[in-house]
Amino acid sequence: MPEPVLAPPVLTLAGVAKSFALTAALADVSLELMPGEIHALVGENGAGKSTLIKIMTGVHQPDEGTIRLAGTAVTITDTQAAQRLGIAAIYQEPMVFPDLDVAENIFISHRDQGLLMDWRRLHEAASSQIARLGVTLDVRRAASGLTLAEQQTVEIARAISLDVKVLIMDEPTASLSAHEVARLMAIARTLKDQGVAVLYITHRLEEVFELADRVTVLRDGRHISTRPITEVTPDALVRDMVGRAVDHFVPKAAAGPHGELVLRVRGLAREGVFTGVGFDLHAGEVLCFSGLVGSRRTDIGLALFGIQPATTGTIELDGRAVLIESPEAAMRHGIAYVSEDRRKLGLAMALPITANISLASLRRLLGKLGLIDRRAELAMAEKHKERLNIRTHSVALEVGKLSGGNQQKVMLAKWLETEPRLLIFDEPTRGIDVGAKTEVHAIINDLAAQGVAIIVISSDLPEVMALADRVLVMREGRQMGIFAIEDATPEGIMSLATGERPADAA
Amino acid sequence: MTGWLQSVHPQTLRVTALALVLALVILFFGSQIDNYYTARMFNRISTSVAIILLIAIGQALVVITRNIDLSVGSIVGFTAYLVGDLLVAQPDLHPLVVVAAAMALGTALGAVNGLLVAYGRVPAIIVTLGTLALYRTLLVEYSDARSITTANLPKWVVELPQATLFSIGNLDIRVTFAIALGVALVVHLALTRLRAARRLYAVGSNPDAAAIAGINAERVVFTAFLLSGALAGLAGFVFLARFGNITVVAGLGFELKSVAAVVVGGVNIFGGSGTVIGVVLGTTLVDVIDNSLTRWALVSEFWRDALLGMLILIAVAADTLMNRYLDRLRRRRHMSELSAGTAPLPRETG
Ligand SMILES: Nc1ncnc2c1ncn2[C@@H]1O[C@H](COP(=O)(O)OP(=O)(O)OP(=O)(O)O)[C@@H](O)[C@H]1O
Ligand SMILES: [Mg+2]
Repeated sequence: MPEPVLAPPVLTLAGVAKSFALTAALADVSLELMPGEIHALVGENGAGKSTLIKIMTGVHQPDEGTIRLAGTAVTITDTQAAQRLGIAAIYQEPMVFPDLDVAENIFISHRDQGLLMDWRRLHEAASSQIARLGVTLDVRRAASGLTLAEQQTVEIARAISLDVKVLIMDEPTASLSAHEVARLMAIARTLKDQGVAVLYITHRLEEVFELADRVTVLRDGRHISTRPITEVTPDALVRDMVGRAVDHFVPKAAAGPHGELVLRVRGLAREGVFTGVGFDLHAGEVLCFSGLVGSRRTDIGLALFGIQPATTGTIELDGRAVLIESPEAAMRHGIAYVSEDRRKLGLAMALPITANISLASLRRLLGKLGLIDRRAELAMAEKHKERLNIRTHSVALEVGKLSGGNQQKVMLAKWLETEPRLLIFDEPTRGIDVGAKTEVHAIINDLAAQGVAIIVISSDLPEVMALADRVLVMREGRQMGIFAIEDATPEGIMSLATGERPADAA
Repeated sequence: MTGWLQSVHPQTLRVTALALVLALVILFFGSQIDNYYTARMFNRISTSVAIILLIAIGQALVVITRNIDLSVGSIVGFTAYLVGDLLVAQPDLHPLVVVAAAMALGTALGAVNGLLVAYGRVPAIIVTLGTLALYRTLLVEYSDARSITTANLPKWVVELPQATLFSIGNLDIRVTFAIALGVALVVHLALTRLRAARRLYAVGSNPDAAAIAGINAERVVFTAFLLSGALAGLAGFVFLARFGNITVVAGLGFELKSVAAVVVGGVNIFGGSGTVIGVVLGTTLVDVIDNSLTRWALVSEFWRDALLGMLILIAVAADTLMNRYLDRLRRRRHMSELSAGTAPLPRETG
């Protein structure tokens, strides 16, 4: 760093430890946050990152260790206490109030707003916070209808609107696209210039190198290293995270000849959501949907899987027109859908890992008397635990107690077991660490090689470039164009998605 | 044809629909019952609404936080009896002191509920089912089979139900009715304008998010139960004044009625949403039906409860259907905005 850091740390954690029943989530972790620095925190799924920030915000109490704020020891009893101390966080799983409108969601934590509600001012202030993030979102809308990415935007707006000394962001960009990520980074830098300490958790290493001043690595609940960003390379960082060297780029398998036409979509629309969607998809082909937050990529997935059926247009499977009005119908046609929203549509949080993985393919596990063969179910879970490296001491653990990335892996495992012919992945690697991401990409490539037709909805452009045979770009509910991957560049996709360039120049 | 519907806020539409149903119900009973449109009928219903409305508003505050208060009927009976007893012993107490005593008693009973639910983390349905029985039993023990009679009460209490604030034509606006409407107005203003009151919605909408947002959910839920108790206490006093003769069964069944009024009035039973205007209309509808059925020779006492139950089911079903329909309308409007835009038609390459 050019200028020496002279100011004392705002927040100091020393020797922090935390265990949950059989899991030691954190052991002897120390961390210093300087005013005006962006500090990246990285590590594999289950390394303890979220647990560490929950200790800073008073959600969890440490078993051991001390927390100092500007030099004085503090006990952070709950989130209110943290807020009073000037510590705010954006959590990994967005937490919105479905019945309140977007504006109220943003300002709910503000204390200094006076006794009475001033709705007009509230809506104006909320609009400007949302605009800062480069997102279009009606602040009068109830939060119940927001997509995950929109919810994340609301959370970010809530946190940055608070007057804080320490701002913690736990994977804020997991479901944002490059456009919103760039805005968020600009905001993080502004906050930094104002002297705020920003702790930034992400699995996207390119963000670490673009944004951070220093980076701390956690592995298995232990502090491995803290270094200025200028002194690390991506490879060194990954080695710290996994404990060994990892090849974290999967080369895209050369696009072989694809099989016959599996899916043919024409003029697909859902009233008020998206319109004019049409494409062909062949066996063994990977089609990626790209676009900004709110471009309605996810809604096409929901329509194809019958969760929110399309209102006009045709869907043909193997040359036969089909009606998909419910997820059951979709599954009967061999369609599987891996949701982006694991809380709402993906997992039964209170059930064990085993039951979650077997849930969509129970029929194959039926043994004598039509009862579920527990041993086969266990074997199924163990297989995926091994392959996807699901971090847990037992597959009998409730899914809700896994770290975010490990929950994502369980959900992937569940749908892989259904052996579909058309698989729709919505943000398949949301919150998944580098090593496992490579594995997920390899799995997707394998499936394609086996002749499964695949749709991947992704905000992660490098992921799109790595996986896709073709890319479909959406903007504001409209299909802007489809490219073969050879003709696509990240810049080209982005400018089409943002509307900086009309489709015919693509 | 449905164009205008799209610009109306769903809450406004719900309230309008409810008002419409109320009008239809009144027209229906008017055609069935002789001498229905009389000042007497209005007075009868408005004094009865006054009591239920107070209870229903408290119930709504609790339901908005994703809880329920089944003990309100017992609190009404308990306060009605105890305040009656107090008045028999000390007939010269100032009216304001009497009202304050009733509300304080209700608040204390509500505090027990609130403590157990908010801080003891026992589900509200269990706690208040328990206190429903407990408060009633305490009353039976305390009363020792005596009852309060009109004859022993001070004159101002007995005359209160007839006391008229002002008259419109020959319709009297009774003091008790005015008090209930006043409470409704205050709570309405608080729920829409008071920042602290918005936390009730936040807690009911997503308790986990509320905790993370730094909202003291325990205190919010506790406060809701306190207010519900206080309003049930006030209702207990009005009940005492209206009936004069109080036995240990006073207020029995008010929990069902108040929940019905709240749900029919569009308060989400799973918390997070609801308006006072809805509750006022819901209460009126439930009470008009209840009172009219009493007068309608065709329907037996037994069927009145069944009809009330059916009304709850219809209200919930209608609400769901209407929301779905509105959602579709909103999407259609958004769609026409989309197609009016300048986005070029999609094309297929590669
Ligand atoms: N409430 C809980 N009960 C039991 N175990 C828990 C609980 N919360 C977290 N854990 C465990 O603690 C460990 C660390 O989890 P944590 O969520 O901190 O990981 P993370 O680094 O944030 O991972 P990710 O990148 O996947 O979000 C995991 O093994 C997880 O299963
Ligand atoms: Mg995490």
